[in-house]
Amino acid sequence: MSRTRRDNLAGALMMVPASIVILVLVIVPMVIIARDSFAVSDPLGGNLGGFTLDNYAKLLDPVYAKTMGYSLGMAVLNAIVCTVVGYVVAYYIATRPARRQPLLLLLVIIPFLTDFLVRTFSWITLLGSGGPIIGLAKLVGIPATSLVPSQAAVVLSLLYAFLPVAVFPIYASMRAIDPSLREAAADLGAGWWQTHARVYVPLSASGLASSVMLTFVPTLGVFVIPVLLGGGKDPLVGNLIVTLFTEFRNEPLGAALSMVVLVLMLVTVALAGVVTRVVTKKRSA
Amino acid sequence: MKSKALAAVGVTVVAALALAGCSAGSGSTSSGGSTKLHIYAWSGEIPDSVIKGFEKETGITVSVDNFDSNETMISKLAAGNSGYDIVEPSQYAVPLMVQRDLLAKIDKSKLTGFDNIAEKFVNPSFDKDNEHSIPWVWGTTGILYNEDCTGAKVTGWKDLWNPKYKGKIYMLDNMLSAYIGGMQVEGLKATSTKKSEIEEGTQALIEQKPLLAGYNSDNYADLVATGDACIAEAYSGSASAKAVASNPSVHYIIPEEGGTLWTDSFSIAKNAPNEDAAYKWLNYTLQPEVAALATDDGASASANEAALKLVKDQTQVTNPAIYAPADSLKKSEFIVDPGDALAYYQDGWTRVRAS
Amino acid sequence: MDRVVAWASRLVFVFLYLPIAALIVYSLNASDVNYRWEGVSLRWYAELFADRMLLETLRTSLIVGLLAALLATALGFLSSMALVRFRVKGRGAFLGAILIPLIVPEIVLGVSLLTVFSTVGVPAGFLTLVLGHTVITLPLATLVQMGAMSSLDPSLPDAAADLGAGAFTTFRRVTFPLLRPAILAAFLLSFATSFGNIVISTFTSGVGTTTLPLRIYSQLKTGLTPELNALGTLLVVLTLAIILIVGVGQLRRILAGGPDQT
Repeated sequence: MSRTRRDNLAGALMMVPASIVILVLVIVPMVIIARDSFAVSDPLGGNLGGFTLDNYAKLLDPVYAKTMGYSLGMAVLNAIVCTVVGYVVAYYIATRPARRQPLLLLLVIIPFLTDFLVRTFSWITLLGSGGPIIGLAKLVGIPATSLVPSQAAVVLSLLYAFLPVAVFPIYASMRAIDPSLREAAADLGAGWWQTHARVYVPLSASGLASSVMLTFVPTLGVFVIPVLLGGGKDPLVGNLIVTLFTEFRNEPLGAALSMVVLVLMLVTVALAGVVTRVVTKKRSA
Repeated sequence: MKSKALAAVGVTVVAALALAGCSAGSGSTSSGGSTKLHIYAWSGEIPDSVIKGFEKETGITVSVDNFDSNETMISKLAAGNSGYDIVEPSQYAVPLMVQRDLLAKIDKSKLTGFDNIAEKFVNPSFDKDNEHSIPWVWGTTGILYNEDCTGAKVTGWKDLWNPKYKGKIYMLDNMLSAYIGGMQVEGLKATSTKKSEIEEGTQALIEQKPLLAGYNSDNYADLVATGDACIAEAYSGSASAKAVASNPSVHYIIPEEGGTLWTDSFSIAKNAPNEDAAYKWLNYTLQPEVAALATDDGASASANEAALKLVKDQTQVTNPAIYAPADSLKKSEFIVDPGDALAYYQDGWTRVRAS
Repeated sequence: MDRVVAWASRLVFVFLYLPIAALIVYSLNASDVNYRWEGVSLRWYAELFADRMLLETLRTSLIVGLLAALLATALGFLSSMALVRFRVKGRGAFLGAILIPLIVPEIVLGVSLLTVFSTVGVPAGFLTLVLGHTVITLPLATLVQMGAMSSLDPSLPDAAADLGAGAFTTFRRVTFPLLRPAILAAFLLSFATSFGNIVISTFTSGVGTTTLPLRIYSQLKTGLTPELNALGTLLVVLTLAIILIVGVGQLRRILAGGPDQT
């Protein structure tokens, strides 16, 4: 279809509703946060306005770099784990008979109707000293005490929390792949790995990219899981910002840290976009 | 296609109807006069029995929303037009809210039964003459421990610095609360505002960190009860009381190095839409038989002296996890806001967390 | 290898339902505490149904979740159409903006949304909750639907057009049915995200509009009550029951559609 003026107009019109929402409820708040990050805070928790660079200067403290580094590591790990597991599950669902697919999708999402904290506490009991896993380990003769708190429990719990966010976009993009491509690949003698490397992964690339984005970025803001399952000794950036906003009553400092996180993430996403584009261009060339 | 569209329309209509029903039910605070009361409070501190009793006696409909921290509550109120009548700040939050002009001055002439309030909550350090707050429940910050796990009686903060319990110790995940232990273990006042003393407290907390299983304000009582933790800094009240009741080896003590008190009070929000109803609430909850319900149904200690003998289950009144014994409170003081010294605490706490 | 994938996926489903199974067991526990078993009892179900305030928060969460998910899915559908099909200019900027709610920690977004709403004079309540939740679910709904649209074979609508189908007919008969699973996925994900949200709700809820997760989160200090296990069990079991009653076949016709691709 050639791009006509009418198409452009239709496209532009379709953008209007979301653009209004984004402008009023995302861009405006961001401007407020950006403004606040330069404001002077008063010890009562008020915001005195004015202009200062102190908030950003305070962020030079190595404490923040350390937390940032740990958080980024955690986010990368979570994005990889979720996307790999999500890919497997999405592929499984997308290759079932079409009438069973919605049911399987619902099965993925139903556990999330129970409250996040209730689920988390269920995990704590399951992984705790009185839980079945430790009980089983003891039966087999492994001297274990409790899996909570531990880094492993944090990773497990993050996977649990973010799995649907990984499965759904990958599934959505895989669902649209023509299944005859798989047969064609098989006819050409491509093995399982080759079929995936040549057909499924490239064609579901946008879903995979969404999955990485949707799991990597929000990990930074997680603040309950590290405390309940990780013992809370190593805070993520999310914990830190909550502390700045609440206990420290320092909105401007919290805003400044948020701006740093925001810019860092947007640059990462933009870079990832450029890299993907270059790679796809090379491949199609 | 058609059925999908129909389903979508159906869902929307149902939702819209429900929405309309809700806003008709709970909105329009101004037109209803004093027939409604909106409360913003800590979860679990106002038993249902108190609310139902109040509704029955006055005919006023009560809605209660809960907050998870004083700071959240303050930012909601500070945004203006919150619509709340009664709020329940902790002691240190009262002066902050007064200075930010978020609380109305309480007209004592409209109150009956204020003399029921226990002496230590009358004219407290955080609110001169109770001008802005009527204490409702109180508690202490102490130590919860599991004797099966520690193998010995625990007497004070120093046990939370004992390498013997390495990996089985929890501190509260809250700056000012963690510093109570950090300051008092060094023999300092928990409310100190001296930079050098706060630095000592900071060093004590940094030194302690390798021994900790973690910082936790949420489920530490469960962890102690199951033995996953041996010893934890703890708030008194329902969570600790439940742990003590569920396991005879679990004890709650006030540390010998000193103790600290907290109290959550009822205050009237500035520009409360239903001020008359708010006063009715204050008067209703000042009655000893109502205040006693805070202990009977909520496992919290009531600030109402006259209520104590009306508590049905008197073992609650002698349970240190709810009512700390009077003699252990001799050295105790309210944790108040450190004011300008907050910066020293923040600086120290940031280093503790990053160490 | 496909068999390995199938087994791995089944394991993942077990993993997903492990805490739910535990929850169902705890919900029947007579004890006040999860960690000790004191015999079977329906006591927590009785307490749940007597808890007027908890059930009210459930209703609030359901309404807000449905409305926010509908809004986010519809807005996301339109914008992903515009971005993928019509390749509107400024995609990068739009995508960047739509991602912001994912990047900025929710507490920061929540506080600034509170400022926006109170400046404009919108009282905190259902409206602000729905808008707040729409903002955080919009990136999910958009990305999921964009993914589906960009994997869609662009020659299909073109072929339909060549066969003389008008733009609307092409959309209705070709594009939309192919996208239905993705739309469903976007809606479900948005609903679940809204239904579980804590932080944005903290700052956008008003008098009498406490959501279920808010209520539960505020209980952390005093300890979660076992009636929440009963509630969680009921929500899961009821949803499964509805699916069975409506019938899987019916569900397919309503939701899946599209040419059978197997």
